[in-house]
Amino acid sequence: MRLYAWAVYAFLYLPIGIIALFSFSAGRSASQMQGFSLQWYGRALNNPFVMEALWTSVRVAFLSAVLATVVGTMAALALTGMRGRTRKVFDLLVQIAVMIPGIVIGIATLIALVSVFDLVNPWLEALTGWKLSLGTGSLVAAHGLFTMSLVVLLVRGRMETLDGALIEASGDLGATPMGTFWQVTFPQILPAILAGFLLAFTFSFDDFIIAFFVAGAETTLPIYVFSSIRRGVTPEINAIGTMVMAASLFMLIVAQLLLRRSQAQARR
Amino acid sequence: MTQSRARALLLTPAALWYAAMLLLPLAVVLIFSFGERSAIGGYAPGFTFEQYANLPARFAAFRNTLTLAPVGTIAALLIAYPLAYFLAVKVSPKWKTMLLVLVIVPFWTSILIRSYAWIFLLGGKGIPALLETVGLDDVRLLNTPFAVLVGIVYGYLPLMVFPIYVALEKLDKRLLEAAADLGTPPWRAFLQITLPLSMPGVLTGSMLVFILLMGEFLIPAILGGGKVFFVGNALVDLFLQSRNWAFGSAVAVALVVIMLITVGIYTRLVKRFGASRDDVGLM
Amino acid sequence: MKDDNTPISRKAFMEELRRYQKGSVTRRHFLGVTGLGTAAAVMGGALPGLLPTRARAQDIGDRVVLATWPNYHDAANFDAFTDATGAYTQVNVFGSNEEMLAKIQAGGSGWDVFVPTNYAIPTYVEADLIEPLDLSKIPNFDAAAFEKRFSDAGTIDGVVYGVPKNWGTTGIAFNSDKTGGVVDSWKAFFDGARDKWDGRVMVHDYQLTTIGNALVYHGFSFNSVDPNELAQAEKLLIDVKPHLYAISSDYQPAMRNGDAWLTMCWTGDGKQMNTDMPEIGFALGKEGGEIWSDYYAIPKDAPHKEAAYALINYLLSPEVNAKEALAHGYPVADSRTNALLPEELLNDPIIYPAAEALSPLEFGAAVTLTDPNRAELMARFKSA
Repeated sequence: MRLYAWAVYAFLYLPIGIIALFSFSAGRSASQMQGFSLQWYGRALNNPFVMEALWTSVRVAFLSAVLATVVGTMAALALTGMRGRTRKVFDLLVQIAVMIPGIVIGIATLIALVSVFDLVNPWLEALTGWKLSLGTGSLVAAHGLFTMSLVVLLVRGRMETLDGALIEASGDLGATPMGTFWQVTFPQILPAILAGFLLAFTFSFDDFIIAFFVAGAETTLPIYVFSSIRRGVTPEINAIGTMVMAASLFMLIVAQLLLRRSQAQARR
Repeated sequence: MTQSRARALLLTPAALWYAAMLLLPLAVVLIFSFGERSAIGGYAPGFTFEQYANLPARFAAFRNTLTLAPVGTIAALLIAYPLAYFLAVKVSPKWKTMLLVLVIVPFWTSILIRSYAWIFLLGGKGIPALLETVGLDDVRLLNTPFAVLVGIVYGYLPLMVFPIYVALEKLDKRLLEAAADLGTPPWRAFLQITLPLSMPGVLTGSMLVFILLMGEFLIPAILGGGKVFFVGNALVDLFLQSRNWAFGSAVAVALVVIMLITVGIYTRLVKRFGASRDDVGLM
Repeated sequence: MKDDNTPISRKAFMEELRRYQKGSVTRRHFLGVTGLGTAAAVMGGALPGLLPTRARAQDIGDRVVLATWPNYHDAANFDAFTDATGAYTQVNVFGSNEEMLAKIQAGGSGWDVFVPTNYAIPTYVEADLIEPLDLSKIPNFDAAAFEKRFSDAGTIDGVVYGVPKNWGTTGIAFNSDKTGGVVDSWKAFFDGARDKWDGRVMVHDYQLTTIGNALVYHGFSFNSVDPNELAQAEKLLIDVKPHLYAISSDYQPAMRNGDAWLTMCWTGDGKQMNTDMPEIGFALGKEGGEIWSDYYAIPKDAPHKEAAYALINYLLSPEVNAKEALAHGYPVADSRTNALLPEELLNDPIIYPAAEALSPLEFGAAVTLTDPNRAELMARFKSA
């Protein structure tokens, strides 16, 4: 059993180890180790396109995660304890959004937005001299669709396990509904909200397929990586991958610590 | 402010988002699927069932997806279950969190870069070269369904481990002790107690992985060398190469319908085994 | 394998410049490290009337986005362009004209310059996606210097939409260590794929060339859209498919690492591989095949048009163009550029094949790119 676990971990980490190893290669080949050097890290960090793609990815991931978390939490709050047709419709929407393959979302968003822009842009341009086009906005909206639904599921799950007595007690003690929310409910659902935010951020940051269709003129980091793979890989890509991995790991650890602290506080 | 008005206000942003980014795009795909390809590519309005009639032209893509998605799901399950069991039952609490985190970490790296590493591992200078040293000559791995399967299992393993782990973690270990006290052999205890109780996790994980595999495009594109063709690849080609938006829309509609059916069956099963949807959400 | 990114970054460049100014490095070191040595040598004679002054005078912005093909530029030239104008070049790489067309058709591609092949230009014109060029902004383009057959596809109904970049062919690259000699016919290519080179042959992920060469195998035109002839090509392709190593236009890595022995190949890729690994050769199919010519063009909705003109003009200066050709190994139709190229390049049988080897080749036709039946055939082949 232990041996088996080791084998699975080896399977999981072998490719990652290979990527990291070749990132230190001094040669130009991404599949052969030729000496040791840090030059590819320097190149990646000095490459304005890598930095711009990274910034685009961070910006899109952050915006979509914030919006998805806020809107998703609002919806989850409204949906908790709700019955009837609206609830059913929303449950269905959430399920469909989670279930539809990213590739279909990407394609559907692309053709829908292009069609809408074709209709709207002549008017818009005549009136304001300004045109709608694919870009950060469409990326944020398409990523947020999926991640908002995840947030709804997470926060609603947490809300349903909340102790209703606490809220009632707070009301009995004369707290306003708003006061009750911020002082009683919010601290308790905070871990779920944070988890939702992190999931949303990671999903958006790592997504290739939706971005591939709706990014327009923007280049996110996965799109940059994909395009670089096609024009022949140098260890620069490995260096980027290794740095992103290290950063993710760092964020994961920070998030764990935060979550742990907030849980500990919630318990107190 | 009444409670129902507050609710309406809270729900409005989400409702608008769903309307603009989910319902509208799906409606456009549905409309386009009855249209035609314009002469230089793209979409031309029309009303025809021609695109749907042409679906059998992508039969092979649907067949590949509908075989490799379940096979990949089962392979991931078979590899993930023992690991999840090990983590939930055998590992001391001290190491548990760390080992669990180690399962997710690869998932936080770009799937593109991870899959790319497999090109090297499965290519002629990788594993086949190692096999050659032990006398197995001319083994070809890259650009085969096997390579795609490896990529799939590799890419989605964490998604399978987690729900199973959660289910097994909830398992009351006293049940197993009681069974042992009653003289039940371990394998029977496993079959009669552990396995049924972990079913919700198994079904949740399988559904997650299956859903993602049905829309997969990258792994076959990177590790299949253009020879292992999924519906996802067919869609990308239709929109990014042959620019047949109408037919592409019909293929997308067909994919979604197939998914609705299979996932519908799955959800039934999940309900039967008593797992709630929120387990899915928690992943 | 080439790196389209900066071999020396702006920052590193400035550092080197400072060190040079302080006198801690020699001029030779500075020019060598920054890649300016060659550029300066070239510019010394040629640049007076060229970019730096012009472009600085009218600010072209800080960026220009180029959509082009893989392994098709000398990255050092983009750096020199940045140093001269302040505009960075973002290079996006595509696998086929279909893909480029799809991206532009979807709108908002954000490209300033793209590189369509001869047969694609009529479609862009028809769809109103391509900008008529203002040749006064491309003084380095001298129509008289270009060979007609490689420059006339850029002009449609008297309007110039594209100025020629390079021309080339679609032939066969083979690893002679494994194939035991030259492979110079599509017959040998497709028959060998099913026989002695089983699992070692690659074809393009591009209907135009893959179907075209399968048609040529049967003795039909590369451009055929005749249903019967296409059916025979399809039969051949589907028959060959299980024996292929891959269907991919990114064949250099697999060829270089020895997994693939034979591939459909564009001139410059053949030259690049041949330079690094002499055992990899390049030959034209003797039954026929494709000859093509690529053009610099500007999309209608290009966001940085001034920068686009500046980049095209820069890349067309014979000195820069010669450096490009040295790096990518594609032939140039510009007699001014060829006058600057070394003798051995002009006599290289891969880059400039003998006229009789070229004579059976055909230029792709507009309909070859857009024919829906060919697109569907390719999809059936790939999903089979």
